[in-house]
Amino acid sequence: MAVTVLGISGSPHRHGNTETLLDKFLDGAHEAGAAVEKVVLRDLLYSPCRGCNACHKTGDCIIQDDAIGLYEKILAADCIAVASPIYTMGITAELKGFIDRGQYLWARKFILKTLYFTDEHIKRHKGIFVSTAGLGWDRVFDGAFPVITALFNSVGFEYYDNIIANDMDQFGGIRQHPTALSEAYEKGQKVVKVLAHFKELP
Amino acid sequence: MPIKVLAFAGSPRRHGNSETLLDWVLAAMADEPDVVVEKAALTDTDINPCRGCNACQKLNTCVQRDGMDIYHDKIIEADIIALAAPIFCMGIAAQAKALIDRAQVFTSRKYVLKLPIVPKERKGKRLGIFISTAGRNWSYVFDAAIPSVKCFFHVIDVKDADIHYLMINGVDEKGAIERHPTAKSEAEMLGKDVVAELRKRLAA
Repeated sequence: MAVTVLGISGSPHRHGNTETLLDKFLDGAHEAGAAVEKVVLRDLLYSPCRGCNACHKTGDCIIQDDAIGLYEKILAADCIAVASPIYTMGITAELKGFIDRGQYLWARKFILKTLYFTDEHIKRHKGIFVSTAGLGWDRVFDGAFPVITALFNSVGFEYYDNIIANDMDQFGGIRQHPTALSEAYEKGQKVVKVLAHFKELP
Repeated sequence: MPIKVLAFAGSPRRHGNSETLLDWVLAAMADEPDVVVEKAALTDTDINPCRGCNACQKLNTCVQRDGMDIYHDKIIEADIIALAAPIFCMGIAAQAKALIDRAQVFTSRKYVLKLPIVPKERKGKRLGIFISTAGRNWSYVFDAAIPSVKCFFHVIDVKDADIHYLMINGVDEKGAIERHPTAKSEAEMLGKDVVAELRKRLAA
């Protein structure tokens, strides 16, 4: 069975720097033999978490919309690449809205204890964060990392790698960046090889 | 002229922990003479996320017509701007992040178009308040939210040093803040202190 790679684009801006970087990663993954799918959050219909905490009792979200289907896809994938540009020192509101909706999985894990991921499971599920930022500050991604960590934890994925590039305003866009796109492609190839190896194991 | 306070309750849960904390701050402010307080619950304000179109860099206004039309002007007019939001998944709730990202119009005005946000005579006479609550009691649970909050205030002409913080961790279920030993008194003190500080600035 082929390695499945799911790319999630959290930018409101189609085919911008971040989505282009994600596409390169997915191209590399496809070239290495993975079954690749890309979901664009902007095309889905979902609302942010309402903070009602109903899931703390039931383990299910009371809002049944496209967010739930996407979480099911994530749980079925071997690798997820979650992409968002940095807006105002954090991920986009679209992606944050989706991540907040994962509260029901957190509740299953930590309150109801009906969901558990073994270390072996986590090792075989790789999460990658893809991002770009206009500014060149070293710390421009720092606000995003803990949120992405929280997402990967609640869906049972190892936080495997970042594919990130800052200073887009200076470079004039990702296509002018000397290494980002080729690195993304190579990382796509590599992670699929690693996961394919796991698939061959019993 | 009365002091204008504009407050955003950024939680999707009405009257939960972060909003209660905000309400205590606002009540202490409203108790002072000549203070007018307005609170908006972001879950009711129809403020959509930024589309990243960058049109504001040319137009000096956002292309979206929604709740932000009203709050754009109110943000400029206010003397004290308070933002309250819970931490969800280690970051600020998505509703508050949408408001913060929509401040992009101010970023464009300030840094691309090089135009003023508030008139020169009001600079340094605006204060900000960030109020937050988190279910986890990790000391670093607010760390990822703060850079976004600083950016928000920065682009609406509230200096870094003029942002006041009240962040309470370890409160999760609705009403948990009521049982916190110091939250209410800290909130009331903050409300009074910020109004006093603003009066000092206005008199200077």
